[in-house]
Amino acid sequence: MKLELINLTKKYGSFTALDRVNVTFTEGIYGILGANGAGKSTMMNLLTDNIARTEGKILFDDGADPFDSDGADILTLGRSFRRVLGYMPQEQGCYDHMTAETFLFYMAELKAIPKKRARDEIEKLLTATNLYDVRHKKLGGYSGGMKQRVLLAQALLGDPKVVILDEPTAGLDPKERIRIRNFISSLSRGRIILLATHIVSDIESISDKIIMMKRGRVVGIDTPSELIGSVADKVKELPCRAEDLERMQELYRVGNVFQRQGKTWVRVVGDTLPDGGQYVPDHLSLEDVYLYYLGA
Amino acid sequence: MKELKRILSKPRTVLALALIILANAVLFVREQVKNDYGLDVSLPLGGTVIMFDTVTVTSEIADARGAYAHYLDWIEKVRDMAPSDAAEYLRLQKDALADAIAADRDKNDGDIDEDARLDYAAVNSLIDRVDYIAGYGELLDNIRANKENLLSFSIFNKPGSFSSRNIIKTADEFEKLEDVKLTLGADGAVDALLSFHMTDYLLTLALTLFALSFLEERRAGLWAVVYASPRGRLRLAVKRTLILLFVSAAFVLILYGTDLMLGFSVYGGIRDLGRTVQSVETLGRLPIITTVGGFLVRYFILRAAAAFLIGLLLWLLLSAVDNVKYALVAAAFAIAVEYSLYTFLPVQSAFNVFKYFNIFTYISLSDLYTDYLNVDIFSYPLGIRAVSQSALPFLCIFAASACIFAMCTKRPASGRDILGRAAYIINSVTDKLLRRFHMLGMELYKTLWIGKGVVIVALLAYAVTELTFSVSVPVKSLSEQTAREYTVEFAGLITDDTLSRMDAEQERLEGDVAAYEDALIAYDRGELDYKHLNVLAASASTAKTKLEGLAAVRERVQSLTALGKEYGIEPWLVDEIPFESVYGARAQYERRTAALTAVLALTLILAANVTYERQSGMQKLLSASARGRGTLIERKLATAAIAAAAVWLLVYGAELRTFMCDFTVTAWDAPVQCVAMMQKFPFHITVRVWLVLLYLYRYVCLYCVSVVVLAVSSFASRTEAAYVAACALTVIPSLLYAYMNVDVLAPISLIVPVEAMSLLTDAGGAVSALLAWSAALAAVTAVAIVWLFVSANGTKRRISRT
Repeated sequence: MKLELINLTKKYGSFTALDRVNVTFTEGIYGILGANGAGKSTMMNLLTDNIARTEGKILFDDGADPFDSDGADILTLGRSFRRVLGYMPQEQGCYDHMTAETFLFYMAELKAIPKKRARDEIEKLLTATNLYDVRHKKLGGYSGGMKQRVLLAQALLGDPKVVILDEPTAGLDPKERIRIRNFISSLSRGRIILLATHIVSDIESISDKIIMMKRGRVVGIDTPSELIGSVADKVKELPCRAEDLERMQELYRVGNVFQRQGKTWVRVVGDTLPDGGQYVPDHLSLEDVYLYYLGA
Repeated sequence: MKELKRILSKPRTVLALALIILANAVLFVREQVKNDYGLDVSLPLGGTVIMFDTVTVTSEIADARGAYAHYLDWIEKVRDMAPSDAAEYLRLQKDALADAIAADRDKNDGDIDEDARLDYAAVNSLIDRVDYIAGYGELLDNIRANKENLLSFSIFNKPGSFSSRNIIKTADEFEKLEDVKLTLGADGAVDALLSFHMTDYLLTLALTLFALSFLEERRAGLWAVVYASPRGRLRLAVKRTLILLFVSAAFVLILYGTDLMLGFSVYGGIRDLGRTVQSVETLGRLPIITTVGGFLVRYFILRAAAAFLIGLLLWLLLSAVDNVKYALVAAAFAIAVEYSLYTFLPVQSAFNVFKYFNIFTYISLSDLYTDYLNVDIFSYPLGIRAVSQSALPFLCIFAASACIFAMCTKRPASGRDILGRAAYIINSVTDKLLRRFHMLGMELYKTLWIGKGVVIVALLAYAVTELTFSVSVPVKSLSEQTAREYTVEFAGLITDDTLSRMDAEQERLEGDVAAYEDALIAYDRGELDYKHLNVLAASASTAKTKLEGLAAVRERVQSLTALGKEYGIEPWLVDEIPFESVYGARAQYERRTAALTAVLALTLILAANVTYERQSGMQKLLSASARGRGTLIERKLATAAIAAAAVWLLVYGAELRTFMCDFTVTAWDAPVQCVAMMQKFPFHITVRVWLVLLYLYRYVCLYCVSVVVLAVSSFASRTEAAYVAACALTVIPSLLYAYMNVDVLAPISLIVPVEAMSLLTDAGGAVSALLAWSAALAAVTAVAIVWLFVSANGTKRRISRT
C-alpha cells in the first residue's frame, strides 16, 4: 500500500501554502511536524480532497493489484479512495445536537459501513476512547477533549487504510493523551497513518517517520532516532544570567530555560553555539530537532 | 447599557425581535380585514324566497373598508341626537336603503349603487352600537333590580354567603356609573387593541428571548467565569432586572403602540378619546369612571408592569434549571399547565382561583377590562381586576427580588442535574431508534428534529386551521339564485331527458303565470276573492323569477352543447359554485395566502439544511467520507421532497377537503371544459383528472421551491443568513406582490405557479402562462440541483480548471 505525493503544490493567489512536495507514504505512522502555517493542514486538506490543488498528483495504490504499483490519483478514485480514508480535521466540527452514539452511527452510514459491523466497531471505539459511559450524552455538552475523542473515533470507523489525523491530541489531558497515543500506535499495522501536530511529544514515541515542514516545504524526513541523532552535536546547556536571557534569545535558538543549583540555565540549539556550557548528546529530544529544523 | 448592547448584538435575537414586530403588525391588519373592520357587511337579498333546499345562498356583501368610511360619516350624522332618536332614525334609514337596493336590483339587472351598498352596511352596523348606548341605562337598572330580586330569594340572601356579598358588591360597583354619559364614537381602534390577543403572545415571546439571553453565559460555558467576576452577581442581576423593566416598557409601547396606531389609521384617526370609557361597548362592564384616553394611558402602564412581571417570571423559571435546554422544557411545561388552568378550568370550579390568579391573567390583560368577575375567596367576592391590578407592584418586587436572589446564590457547579440524567435516559432510547436509520432517515431527523422543522410543521398545521380555502359566491338577484338552484337540479350530462325536464318545468311555471292572469280576470269579474288572488299572485311572481333563472340555465345548456360540438366532448351542466368558491377568481386571495403559507413553511423547514453542515463544522468530514458528497445531496433532495409532500398534504389536503366536503360536487366525470372558468383548457380530461393534475402540479412547484431553498442554503455560512436569504428570495417577493400589489414582482413571486389557478382562470383555462412559468421554474430548479451537486464536489471542478 502506498500513498504518493508528487510535486504537490497549493497556492492562494501569490502565496504558496504548499510548494512542490514529494513524499511517499507506506504502511506506518508518519508524524508531520511544523509550526502554525507550515502547510500541514493544507497537505491534509489536499489529501482529503477538501481543497483544490494547484499542481501535482496524489497517487494511491492499495496494493491489491500486483501489476499496478503506481496507483491512481485520488481524484480519479473518488469515492473508492474515500471508502478507505479516515479523517479527523483540526476543527472540532460535529453535530452538537446528536449524542456520540448517534453521531458515530451517522458517520458509519456516510462511510457506507453495514449496520451490524458499525455497531460492533462503534462499541469498540467508544470503549477505546473512554466515551462509552457518556455515549448517550449530546455532543454539545461534551468538553473539548471529549469531542476530540469522538472525532478520532469517527476517523477510525470502517477500518480505514489511510488515516489522516490533524492535531488529534489537542485539548486532551496528559492521561487521555497517552491513552490515545497508545491507541493510535496499536493501529499502525496495515495502515498509513498521518498525524499532524506541533506537540512533538505526541509523535516522538509512536511515529515510524517524521516529516518536518516549514513554509510549505518538506525540510526533513526520517525516523525519530535518526533525526535526534542528526542534532547530537548541536545542543548545549549553559548557565545564563537573567539580564542576558533576552540577548541570548536574540542570538541563538533557545529551548528550555530552567533552574539548576540556584542558577538559570538555557538549552540552546543550532549550528553555531555560544562558548561555555556543555553538550548533552545523551539527553536529546525531538523538541531539539524541532527547534533545530523549524525553530527560526 | 453594555449588557443590553451584548444582548442586542446577537443577530439571531435582533432578527427574531424584528420578525415579532413585523408579524404583529401584519397579523393585526389581517385580523381587521378578516373581521370586516368590525362591521356586518351583508346586504339584504331583497326577499327570502328559498325555493329548493339544495343550495345555501350567501347574500351579497359590501366592501368593508369602504363601508367603514361611511360608518364614520353616519356617526357624525347621529352624534348629537339622543340615542333612542338616533336608533329610530337609523332604522328608518336602513329600511329606506334596503328598498333602494331592491329597486336598484330590479332596474339594473342586479347591479346596485355602490354608495347604497356601503351606506346600508354602515347603518346596519351602527344600529347595534346605538342600541347599546341607548340601552346602557337599562343595563345598570337591571343590575340594581337584580340585587333586589335575587336578595329576596332565601338561597341568595343568606347573610355572609358569597352569593349575597357578590350581588351587593356588583350592584355597588355599577352604582358609581349611574351618572356616566355614553356617547357614540369610533370605537374600532380600542376594540381592535383589546381583542387582538396575538400581541399578548408575541410580547411573551419577545420577553422569553430576553430572559433566554440572560442565560447566554450558561450556554456559552462562561457561567463560572461570569459568576466568579466581581460584578457578575448582584450588580449584573440588578442590571438585568432594569433591562427587563426597560424592554418590557419598550416592547409594550412598540407592539401595543403599533396596534393602536394601526387601529387609529384603519378606524378613522385619533378621535373620540374624551368619551367615557363605557361608550366603547367592549368596556361596558368596566366599573371605573374615566375617559377612553385615560383608560388607554392606564392600560399601557399596567401592560408594561404586567410585561415586566411576565419577563421576571420567565427569567426565574428558566434560571431554575442549570441546563438551558432543560430549563426551556421545564418552563414550557409550567406555562402549559398555567395555560390549561386558565383556559379549561370552568368559571364555577372550586379551584377557579388557579384560573384567575395565573400568569395568563397578566398575559391576556385585556380580559380584566372586558369581563367583570368576582371570585369566591373564603366567601368574600374579590374582583379579579382589582386584585390583579393591586397585586401587580408587589408581585413585580417579589419576582425581581427572587430573580436577583437566584442569580446571586445559584452556583454554576452546584447543580444536581436531575433533568440531565433524565435526558440521558431518554437519549439512550432515541439512540436505539436512530441507529436503525439510514441516511435518508438521518437527514429527516436533522431537518425535522435538530433543525426544528417539526415545530414549523406543527405551526403550519395550526395555521391551516386558521386558513380559509373558499369564498362565498354572492348572488345579485333572486333570478340568479334560482338559476343556481336549477343548475344544481339539472346538473349532469346534457341529454334529451335534461331538455325535456327543463321544458316540463318551464311549462309548469308558465302555467302558474297563466293561472294568475286567468285569476286576475276572474277577480275583475268578481269570481275570485282577494285572498285567493293574492296566493296566486305570489306563486306567479315566484314563477316569473324562476322562469328567468330557467332561461339563464337553458342559455348555458345551449352554449355547453355548442362547446361540446366544437371540442368533441360530451356537454355537461356543471354546478359552478364549488369551483368558483375554491378555484375561481374570487378565491384568489385565499389561494395566495395558502400558497404563501406553504412556501414560507417550506422555506423555514429547509433554509438552514445545508448551512447547518457548514455552521457545525462538518463540511470537511462529510466531503472526506464515501457518501458525503453526491449521495448526501441526493438524500437532501429526497428530504426536500418529503418536506414538500408534508407541507403540500397539510395545505392542499385541507383545500381539497374543503372542496369535497363543504360542497356537493357531482361533476367528477364531466369534461373539464364544461366548467366555465376552464373553458379553454386544451386537453380532453375529466374534472377528476384535472384536479389530480392540478394538485400534482402544485406539489411539483413546492418541490421546486424546496430545491431552490436548498441551493440558497448552500451559499450561507450562518443559519440566520440562510433564513434571511431564502425568505428574501422565496417569500418577500410573493408577500409584496400578493398583499401590497407590487406587480413588478409578479415574475419572481413563487406563489404564482404554486397557486396555479389564477394563471389558468385569467386565461379562461388556457395553459400558455402556466407552461411559461413551469419552464422557468424547471430551469431554475435544474440549475439549483446542478449547483448543489457541483458545490458538493467543488474540488473537482476547480481542479479541472487548473
